[in-house]
Amino acid sequence: MGDIRQSLLPRDVLSAAKELLYHLDIYISNLVQSGRQPPQVDTKTLELVEEFILHAPKDRSRMSALQELQLLEIMCSCFQEQSRDTVRQLMFSALFSLQGNQADDSRMGLLGKLVSMAVAVGRVPILECAAFWLQRTHRAYCVRLAQVLVDDYCSMMPGSVPTLQNIHSASPRFCCQFITAVTTLYDFTSEELIPPLELLQMIVSWIQDDPRIVLVTFLNTPLSGSQPVSSLDLTPLGGLVRWCVKAPLGYRRDKKQASVHCSSEIEQEVSGLFSALHLSVLQVFMLLPNLLKEKGIFGRLALLQMDSLASLTSDLSRQLDQADKHTQISTADIHVLTQLALDRLAQALQVAMANGALLCSRGACVYPSSDSGTRKTLGVQILLRLSVISRKLNEGSVFC
Amino acid sequence: MSAQKDCEFLVKRARELVPDDPCAAKAWLITARTLYPADFNIQYEMYIIERNAERTTCAGRLLYDMFLNFPDQPIVWREISVITAALRNDAQDKHSQFLRGLFETLPGRIQCEMLLKATEQCFNTLEKAEMLLLLLKRFPESVVQHGVSLGETLLEAETSEKVESPINCFRKLFVCDVFPLVINNMDMRLPASLMQKYILKAAEFYIGYVTRGPSPDGQINASQEGGPLKSPSVSRGSQRYVIGGLSEKSSVVSEPWERLLDLVAVVGTRCEWQGDKGQRSYIDLLQRVKELCRYLPGLEGDTRARCCSQVVICAALVLFRNAFLYVSNVQPALFQGVSTLNLSPWILVEDFSSVYNDVDAERGTVKHTHKKRKMADGREKTISSDDEEGLGKVRGRHILVNKTEMPNWSETLEGFYTARESWDLLHSHDTLETEFKKICASWKTESWLWFRIFLTDMIIYQGQYRKALSSLHQMAAVQQPPLGQQSPSGQISLEHHRALIQQASCHYALGEYRMACEKLLDVVSGLVPPNHEPVKASEDQMRVKTKVKKSHDLRLLPCTSNAVLPFCLQLMLACFKPRAFTDTRDDLSLGHVVVLLQYDWPQGEVLFLKAVDKICLQGGFQYENFFNYVTNIDMLEEFAYLRTPDGGRIQLELLPNQGMLIKHHTVTRGITKGVKEDFRLAMERQVSRCGENLLSVLHRFCINEKIIIVQSLP
Repeated sequence: MGDIRQSLLPRDVLSAAKELLYHLDIYISNLVQSGRQPPQVDTKTLELVEEFILHAPKDRSRMSALQELQLLEIMCSCFQEQSRDTVRQLMFSALFSLQGNQADDSRMGLLGKLVSMAVAVGRVPILECAAFWLQRTHRAYCVRLAQVLVDDYCSMMPGSVPTLQNIHSASPRFCCQFITAVTTLYDFTSEELIPPLELLQMIVSWIQDDPRIVLVTFLNTPLSGSQPVSSLDLTPLGGLVRWCVKAPLGYRRDKKQASVHCSSEIEQEVSGLFSALHLSVLQVFMLLPNLLKEKGIFGRLALLQMDSLASLTSDLSRQLDQADKHTQISTADIHVLTQLALDRLAQALQVAMANGALLCSRGACVYPSSDSGTRKTLGVQILLRLSVISRKLNEGSVFC
Repeated sequence: MSAQKDCEFLVKRARELVPDDPCAAKAWLITARTLYPADFNIQYEMYIIERNAERTTCAGRLLYDMFLNFPDQPIVWREISVITAALRNDAQDKHSQFLRGLFETLPGRIQCEMLLKATEQCFNTLEKAEMLLLLLKRFPESVVQHGVSLGETLLEAETSEKVESPINCFRKLFVCDVFPLVINNMDMRLPASLMQKYILKAAEFYIGYVTRGPSPDGQINASQEGGPLKSPSVSRGSQRYVIGGLSEKSSVVSEPWERLLDLVAVVGTRCEWQGDKGQRSYIDLLQRVKELCRYLPGLEGDTRARCCSQVVICAALVLFRNAFLYVSNVQPALFQGVSTLNLSPWILVEDFSSVYNDVDAERGTVKHTHKKRKMADGREKTISSDDEEGLGKVRGRHILVNKTEMPNWSETLEGFYTARESWDLLHSHDTLETEFKKICASWKTESWLWFRIFLTDMIIYQGQYRKALSSLHQMAAVQQPPLGQQSPSGQISLEHHRALIQQASCHYALGEYRMACEKLLDVVSGLVPPNHEPVKASEDQMRVKTKVKKSHDLRLLPCTSNAVLPFCLQLMLACFKPRAFTDTRDDLSLGHVVVLLQYDWPQGEVLFLKAVDKICLQGGFQYENFFNYVTNIDMLEEFAYLRTPDGGRIQLELLPNQGMLIKHHTVTRGITKGVKEDFRLAMERQVSRCGENLLSVLHRFCINEKIIIVQSLP
């Protein structure tokens, strides 16, 4: 290894990086061929990557923008031409697996640029590797990568949405992970964390085209291996439910502040989009029983986590509190929007639970129905009742 | 709050949301369904939303669920009956197409079950049959179980619903849909007798369909719609036709003869008919059974019976098909499906193109032609270069036709000869005849006017004129237009004339000249004379060819004023010719001959000179109508000459009442001089009439002298 470093040092930054990539390719191919399990890239190699590709030690001369672009192109074709999935995966993680050191920042920078480029020129193998990366990396970093793509394709260059839209067909796996990442990122907790309209449109159209897109990761992941701690959810379902429930009050609040350039038309479009998205989410839940039964895990795997639902409920009640303080919105409007949010939450919980996506302990909130034996959930029943009751009271009808 | 009320509330809530936010409505219903999976109304509401939005796949999926989970809900059945109705009808509107598409999304097993159950719930025979037919078409395996029983149900329905005509909705369904399905299903084993019964049912339907007449109300429509320039026969061709109980579109049967032939081919294969190689034409069928017929006497038992039915069925179909071909060309207005544009009826009559031949020469040629015919018999197989002779099949008579006037003459004559050949074949053995008569009786062919027309023409062709006449009388009675319902174009009267003209021709052939002329003059008196003489180029051309032929040929004559008047003149000429040229003096007949010879001058020149010879021989000639009807300059010149010393000073009494004048004036000397003066003046006046329309003159002759003409014949 020392020899390699010696041979790389005199080179200019670009040719050194290129040489190292070449070396990495051979090294990993040999590693895979040797059949050692698990194939582990040694620390020294990782250090070389940090030094010559990520330029982590600050004292090393950095690449110019043009050189960086050239490097990205080389990397693109390097991954594209590698025919063995294992080798490609190992190379990708050698380059981009987070090491918890100072190089991680430039690692993330380069990864963002590479994935953004892969989206632009349709490099499917890189997207597949990135999808895998998104499954194993801490959600904080996943969210960063998603942010880069949203910035590049939805915010910076408004006309480039269709390019990103295409990942749906190019790499469904990546698309699915991307949805999970953005629903995690945009959680309506602040103004910046409200999903941009372009992103919303794109996601709704993906899911409407093929609701199963949100289940791609779940369906392709063997359930034996436990998920790394703090990684993204297995599906974007939780995030999507959060979007739909929080949107009526969340989106409204934001738009009130920026009312200058917000026409009621856009408002209507947004509410229509969320309504459609909510329906799609319910329809995905309806698909679950068969899929879960096929995998033999019906009733054993919760795709919606109780704790995330708990935080959603508390977020919602906070929203409700804040909404009351908004003087711009009429009380009637607030009431309607509140009702909508509650309706969606109740519907999502009921449908999720009925289809085995949400597991409650039997004693706590599930009781066997005396007549039909169907599983009915007490908690949801109550929630739904609340929703129904409040609506009826609102209509002034007598409730008995 | 009861579950029932919850459900009702949720459905109501969803329904309210549909116009503004259909997604929210559906979200509610999905939720409601997870809460109350056994509630029908929730699922029905989901279905209704998708159906109203015409989303085929979603609606199909929901219908499938409802069908499985709520098979006893009347609403589901109402929905299914709406869908199956859309499947049965051929409406092209968007909603019907959606409903059909919806059905297509269902799995085959469900479609099958749905159709069967829908059939069970149907009480109308036709609807039930259509429904079952949908099932049979989609699921061939169900043909084995239901095919024959469906067929029998349809045929029984004809009786139970008291349907008279074989062209009815039940038969159409049976013939066009059920029978082909049954017979083409290789898993079916049907007895030959049943297949024969079915093919005859099919043939009866197809023949009846092709030969259907214009419907009376259609005719009324046509005459109302048609402008003054549009003859009713034009719109009659495009007239709509609807089989009772069916839509207009499903009443259309395309290429009936071809479809019938297809069925015969399949039946032939399945009944193991002799030498059946899937014949592709009716002529093939006939050739095949003709060969088969030769072996018939040597066959016994089942083989013989099978052979017989093959021969009878095939020959009968060839007969009816070709008879139709012939009649549809000869009398197109009889049929609805046949375009009658610019087509007049045609009449099979005696051919008079040799009427101008010299009497002696004609007598002489009788032997001659006889010899010729013998020669022709010797080389029966060689086909003459003359098309008309080739079609005449040598052993029979010739039917002449003007090829330019009848463009599809070949099809017409071919049809006639082939039909006749089939008829002969069907009557060549007692067994065949008996079988054929059974078919005729069950189809009631004696009531088929068109077929009667063919049979009459065939009898005429065979020379059985007496029989033909009685048939014609019967037909004339049928065709007589009801009082006050004369067609505006005179179409019906023309068809009525047709029978009269044919009768006249038959009477002539029987030697009943007086009857012949009487009938014909009745027709002529109803005609308007053509105001110009017809172009005769083609006629002349034809005559050259046929000049030396024996006089027993037949001709297809167009039933138009232009053609009928000349024919009438020729027939009269033929009637008077023998009387005029006998050894006894008959100046009236000779005079009529002279008048009639003017037409088509100078064709009759030889005969005219012969008449002149006879007058010279007689030394005198009395015909008081001479100056009324003779305007031919050559004739006038000849008669003027006859009076001169050079001409032989023939005593001509050509002026009306001249005889009386002569008697009156014999007392006074020089009276003949006054008579001479009158003759000269009449001649001069007559010469100035030469430019007159000859046909008008001759038409006048026919009308004014009708009584004399008829009376001068025995």
